[in-house]
Amino acid sequence: MSTVKPATTLRVSSEKQESLVKLGILVLAAILSFSTRLFSVLRFESVIHEFDPYFNYRTTKFLTEKGFYNFHNWFDEMAWYPLGRIIGGTIYPGLMVTSATIYRILWLLNITIDIRNVCVFIAPLFSSFTTIVTYLLGSEIYSTGAGLVSAAMISIVPGYISRSVAGSYDNEAIAIFAMLLTYYMWIKSVKTGTIFWSTLTSLAYFYMVSSWGGYVFLINLIPLHVLTLMATGRFSHRLYVAYSTVYCIGTILSMQISFVGFQPVQSSEHMLAFGVFGLCQLHAFVDFLRSKLTKEQFEVLFKSLVAAILSIFVAFAAVLTLSGKISPWTGRFYSLLDPSYAKNHIPIIASVSEHQPTSWSSFYFDLQILVFLFPAGLYFCFDKLTDANIFIILYGVTSIYFAGVMVRLMLVLAPIMCILSGVAVSHLLTKYIRNVDTSVAVPFVSDSSAKPSNYRQEPSRKTKKYELQQKGVKNEIAIGFVILMTFMLITYTFHCTWVTSEAYSSPSIVLSARSHDGSRIIFDDFREAYYWLKMNTAEDARIMSWWDYGYQITAMANRTILVDNNTWNNTHISRVGQAMASTEEKAYEIMRELDVNYVLVIFGGLTGYSSDDINKFLWMVRIGGSTDRGQHIKEQDYYSSNGDFRIDKEGSPTLLNCLMYKLCYYRFGQVYTEAGKPTGYDRVRAAEIGNKDFELETLQEVYTTEHWLVRIYKVKDLENRGV
Amino acid sequence: MFKLNILAFLLVVIISTVFSAIDVEIENKNIDRTIDLTSQLVKVSYKITLEHKSKKAITNYLFLIPSVDCDKLSYVSARDSAKKELKLTLSKTAEECSYSMTLPNSQIPNPVIYIETIFSKALQPYPTEITQAERQLVRYFGNAVFYSPFKTSSQKTTIHLASRNVESFTQVKPSVHSDTQIVYGPYENIPAKTQNEIVVHYENNSPFMVVTRLERTIEVSHWGNVAVEETIDILHSGALLKGSFSRYDYQKDSRSGPASVKSYKTILPASATGVYYRDTNGNISTSAMVTLKDSVELDLRPRFPLFGGWRTHYTIGYNVPSFEYLFHNGDSYMLKMRLIDHVFDDMIVDELVTKIILPEGTKNLKLITPYSVERQPDTLHFTYLDITGRPVITFRKTNLVENHINDFNIKYNFSRIMMLQEPLLVVVFLYLFFLFVIIWMRLDFSIIKERERLHKD
Repeated sequence: MSTVKPATTLRVSSEKQESLVKLGILVLAAILSFSTRLFSVLRFESVIHEFDPYFNYRTTKFLTEKGFYNFHNWFDEMAWYPLGRIIGGTIYPGLMVTSATIYRILWLLNITIDIRNVCVFIAPLFSSFTTIVTYLLGSEIYSTGAGLVSAAMISIVPGYISRSVAGSYDNEAIAIFAMLLTYYMWIKSVKTGTIFWSTLTSLAYFYMVSSWGGYVFLINLIPLHVLTLMATGRFSHRLYVAYSTVYCIGTILSMQISFVGFQPVQSSEHMLAFGVFGLCQLHAFVDFLRSKLTKEQFEVLFKSLVAAILSIFVAFAAVLTLSGKISPWTGRFYSLLDPSYAKNHIPIIASVSEHQPTSWSSFYFDLQILVFLFPAGLYFCFDKLTDANIFIILYGVTSIYFAGVMVRLMLVLAPIMCILSGVAVSHLLTKYIRNVDTSVAVPFVSDSSAKPSNYRQEPSRKTKKYELQQKGVKNEIAIGFVILMTFMLITYTFHCTWVTSEAYSSPSIVLSARSHDGSRIIFDDFREAYYWLKMNTAEDARIMSWWDYGYQITAMANRTILVDNNTWNNTHISRVGQAMASTEEKAYEIMRELDVNYVLVIFGGLTGYSSDDINKFLWMVRIGGSTDRGQHIKEQDYYSSNGDFRIDKEGSPTLLNCLMYKLCYYRFGQVYTEAGKPTGYDRVRAAEIGNKDFELETLQEVYTTEHWLVRIYKVKDLENRGV
Repeated sequence: MFKLNILAFLLVVIISTVFSAIDVEIENKNIDRTIDLTSQLVKVSYKITLEHKSKKAITNYLFLIPSVDCDKLSYVSARDSAKKELKLTLSKTAEECSYSMTLPNSQIPNPVIYIETIFSKALQPYPTEITQAERQLVRYFGNAVFYSPFKTSSQKTTIHLASRNVESFTQVKPSVHSDTQIVYGPYENIPAKTQNEIVVHYENNSPFMVVTRLERTIEVSHWGNVAVEETIDILHSGALLKGSFSRYDYQKDSRSGPASVKSYKTILPASATGVYYRDTNGNISTSAMVTLKDSVELDLRPRFPLFGGWRTHYTIGYNVPSFEYLFHNGDSYMLKMRLIDHVFDDMIVDELVTKIILPEGTKNLKLITPYSVERQPDTLHFTYLDITGRPVITFRKTNLVENHINDFNIKYNFSRIMMLQEPLLVVVFLYLFFLFVIIWMRLDFSIIKERERLHKD
């Protein structure tokens, strides 16, 4: 803000002053959005977080080392043993290509940065870009003030930060930027109707497709917008040019991504876009005919044409669907429309926590005041309806529905929440601050501008220079309202910072806890175990673990794994689930069949780490029992007689003797974990384990980490004959 | 003429070696030999008192090591009675390695020589595999008497062991085991080149760790900083772990896993700052740093305890101010730093590669090392704001121990004006960038006026 003050004393023209203020706010917002995401780097270190980012990191490293063609043709034999996985054709390469490009450019300039650091910092970098694009989008649909407020809001909104902190190297990190860029370009092209902007929209759309599967939302939203405009009689040549260009070029470009392939013309998820494209042509054709024919002639022609085309279209679609040319809707998409679909049909989708429906509290947690400002913003958009506003309304309404279905889609909702709230805040402040008496307003504004957290009020300051249109509201009310608004924005800032620091900035690969004396204890067991595997097992060793840890094992331990977070082969995962849920002898057969050398389990009973394998175990049972070969595994057998999932003496004997139980609790029965409790007291389940005294016959403990979080067992060879 | 010179030289060499070898009148009057087996190294020190039968001055002496032990020999040094270092010349035959030394021409009747040798990997774990709870036993193969080309009139050997626990040792009367010592001798009048093999089988739980590869990079900046980074591969070379590793047993009893290595100390220079300790998966959070008066002591704990056969790999790095290591006179500079630094006590380094990155624009490099190294071809290193690249000197040496910690010198010329190159580069770049923006903002590239551009419908 200090940059603004000398400017005023220098007496530059108000236009230049305005652009200086704008630039100042934008730059500050961009810097803020970068730096607020660095909590985890400062608190821990520059490290990749979570699970999927490790896969992205590994592929990026491969891309930078081996080049694009090898990456494109990459068959990865280290995952999904013995099936392998074609990586080049089954990922969205946008993220990897982006970071590899940045890496190459930096090296070309002799800036010798490590690829890991590029990967860690790419999400904050693109958040800064997102801030700028949000400003553009906001000022395009409403006003510059709205753009600035929304830019400031999106820079710290927790719903977006949750997936873009430093180290969260995932597709979403760049996809939100690409999505908003596409929207901005799209609104530009609808407004101007030029091929130039439409082509840019297609290019932005291509970037979006290359980076995230969520592009499906985008390719349905834009046609929906066009359809709504047609229905409301707002169809124009501008729209026609814009949509036709975007659809044609965008579709062709999106088909260049090998993972997408022919889906844009085959799968039903893309049919809306295709249908609207056809409708556009018809609408334009009808408009043309209408201008050439008399009214009666046109009526007859119109009716017959509609009937004919509709019947042909329906027949054609039916034939294609029946012949399998149009692929049936995929499960993930069904679960969007019907939240209970996945749970009932596909256990593997339901088992992922980020696919669960969103709770009300998490809306408030992730968006805070935006939840209340959102309807106001919607109202103001309805109030001044334009082509662009309709788009924003549609985006807002659809995304709030999808965010309610699936937690991870909160990410798509956050930007539109910011934009609409920006509209609301900017509109209200513009309205009220005009009525604030100048003699009062000046000290107040300068006081609040001293804090950087309040700069989003700046756009409204300039507006009071404008002519006063109305004097409807009293001075006191105006002041009161402005103070209230300021207070809300300040609490928003504090809330966002608090949420970012407390909830979204732990790398989850390194855990930390407070000890009794208040000092910080670090649990670095995951890396300890993975590094042990990397250093002390054979290079071609096969490791069996539950799929959650697959990506991390391949990336950090550099060893072959059976299943990973890609979850493309349900039966294979199910087989691993069966092994974990069977008795030791049965499991040994499965492990011999799958050629397993080591088994890795996560166990939190000693430290109280609750997302361990025993707590995930019911999913293994369900997924294990969901295929033909695992029909003997029934979820019911793992509950105690009361129908509870218990690990103590009351627990079901099937559970107490299955492989997972034995691997987690091997020799745990001798350990004292808490004062005043018996040995073998599990701190997560708060119970004394039921099966304490057992030995493993076909497996052998080879490593257990310091806090027992990760336990690794070696599968013994078959015994020699005749022994 | 030249050929003749060589011939003459060869003749002299042959004659001199033959003479020194067969100067039978030299006699080892007394040998005091100490073999230190307390660590993974075998450190042998000799105090040799000589005598010449015909009371002539002894000018040359020959020290022999049987060829079985030649490869294991990592370090040898000899000093005279005034503790002055003697120069050793090595020549190898099928039977032995012989080090010849020239004694200072003094008229002392019984000159004394102190020799120190260090052998790496000379102790063999036996049994080669042990379980977690077992102690590590090793075998030492040696010679009960001093192997010498001369007759020895009196000698005694003291062996220091790591523990009292001795499984067995070869008896060569008189030989006595008491506490942590075994004494062989004294023996009288042993003829030249006598070998009398002994085996000592005893408990040794001291860390058996080998640095299989150590890459040390020293990057010199004339802005006042020297960055040192060491990439280290460590292997526990003791008896292999048999069966399972039980964390329960390991935590229950602190004496469990006696042969394993939980942590070790690395000593860095006193002025070291910005120390980091990490591996390919990131920071290793289990380490402690203690700043002492004359050094910085790092207590390094690998991610996992090292048992026999387990490996680890990590990188350690720090900065030191350059004024302690970089000296100059006008434009000529001299860098004086350690060729290899301390990793842990009684360390063995299989392979060392040291790289020295000097500032851009350095000329007339001259490397002086305290012992012979294998110099690799020079390369260039590009990093921030470099144009022509920084010269890199690389050299390699195998089989090193702590006694090899010593300074190398690099002399080079560097013009101080070159230091301004990098800041100037930034300044010029920013200047051009702003100039470009200023010009760009004042030019109009559109072919139509902005107002006419939107076509109306």
